[in-house]
Amino acid sequence: MATPYTPTVHGTGVRATIQRFGGHLAGMIMPNIGAFIAWGLITALFIPTGWMPNKALAELVDPIIKVLLPVLIGYTGGRMVHAQRGAVVGAVATMGVVVGADVPMFLGAMIIGPLAALILKYVDRFTSERTRAGFEMLVDNFTAGIVGAVTAIAGVLAIGPVVEKFTDVAGSGVEWLIAHSLLPIASVIIEPAKVLFLNNAINHGVLGPLGVAESVKHGKSILFMLESNPGPGLGLLIAYLLFGPRSLRPSTPAAMIIHFFGGIHEIYFPYVLMKPRLILAVVAGGAAGVLTFLVTGAGLVATPSPGSIFAYMAVTPKGGWFGVIAGIVVATAVSFAVAAALLGFGRANGDKADDPAQDAVPHDTDDTTTSTNDDNRDTTGETAAESVPATKEA
Amino acid sequence: MSSIEGKDVRKLIVACDAGMGSSVMLASTLRRQLKGTPVSVEHTPVNSIPGDADVVVCHTGLADRARASAPGVVLVPFQVFIGDPAVARIVTAIKNGGTIDG
Repeated sequence: MATPYTPTVHGTGVRATIQRFGGHLAGMIMPNIGAFIAWGLITALFIPTGWMPNKALAELVDPIIKVLLPVLIGYTGGRMVHAQRGAVVGAVATMGVVVGADVPMFLGAMIIGPLAALILKYVDRFTSERTRAGFEMLVDNFTAGIVGAVTAIAGVLAIGPVVEKFTDVAGSGVEWLIAHSLLPIASVIIEPAKVLFLNNAINHGVLGPLGVAESVKHGKSILFMLESNPGPGLGLLIAYLLFGPRSLRPSTPAAMIIHFFGGIHEIYFPYVLMKPRLILAVVAGGAAGVLTFLVTGAGLVATPSPGSIFAYMAVTPKGGWFGVIAGIVVATAVSFAVAAALLGFGRANGDKADDPAQDAVPHDTDDTTTSTNDDNRDTTGETAAESVPATKEA
Repeated sequence: MSSIEGKDVRKLIVACDAGMGSSVMLASTLRRQLKGTPVSVEHTPVNSIPGDADVVVCHTGLADRARASAPGVVLVPFQVFIGDPAVARIVTAIKNGGTIDG
């Protein structure tokens, strides 16, 4: 297995543990993204400041965000722990944290859903050995019912208030960061964590729940855009296309399309992992993008998932296009400029830069990507085969 | 280190963090490339790789978790999502015969 292409897997246990924990958080949210998008669309369209205000349809907004989405999260979290029975008690228990809460109880749902399922799992283990034949259904139904009822009550009395307090504190912490224009610094943590495959954990596990609370209050949130901005990755890929190792260039246009339009950011992570100093480029691009979002007061209604330009446009509130697009363009440009410099404008790889236009705007290169993409698709296998050793030397 | 003959592979799993993004993309590419072979290609989250998988493909950054989640299964880590030689070698081994080392 230890070929030059696939070196023995390194990576500390700590990293895998964090990934796994984050994966659990994201795993409760991501299967439900469709419901989030439904909510985002309804909100963007029908609230009083939306595209076509409609009082009757706007009634949907509050129950979906405050009840349906947390219950779906609790359901999914319960299912991860204890299959269908876990899902059911997870959903019931989530109702406990939902009622009476003023904020969307995503965090509470991510705690109590799996917890209730875990309790049922232990109860099941205890009862299954002791149940007489013929009484299984009776016992199963009532253990689930009792665990659900008890955890829902615990949710109302104990877990709900604690989580609500915590969400408030975290929310005001974020507001403080925004008020003091410190949010761009978050990119220093977010961008490196992203390429270590913590992207979903950060976006859906941490930023998303906080963002939704803010979005409900103010109609939009900048937090949705901290991790999901496709600009930094696009800038990096453009730099690779123009100045990267020559053997890698043919595969980048397809990567750009998948990244920027398809929203699968994972496609660019290897390009950073190959040349780790390029992390500086995506950090700079990310921070510049966040700063632009801050200055222009940009925000999104719901989480853009996947982080594609189309998803971005779909959840941009009315009148918010300028700031959102500006942030993406600035992030792309800054990330491209820094990455190009770090790649020595092509000279560092022993071959000349064939395109000296360093100030190439993203749109120009987008056109070239579309036209060359088809030609490359068939040959990418061979090119990448040559490319990996080439990068090793570079 | 386990290994498997290309002709014995029936179920190939592509795993990624959420099982919804990059794994779906790579799985559909592989499915197209393996058309006409008896291999079924599926995508899953890296934490829930099914027990009957013959070969698991995932990015090196997630390989630790894949190993923990599916011990003993042939695991092929790759580095780039488009045209990685490690992935290309699996396709060759399945189509033309050969051993897949994991």
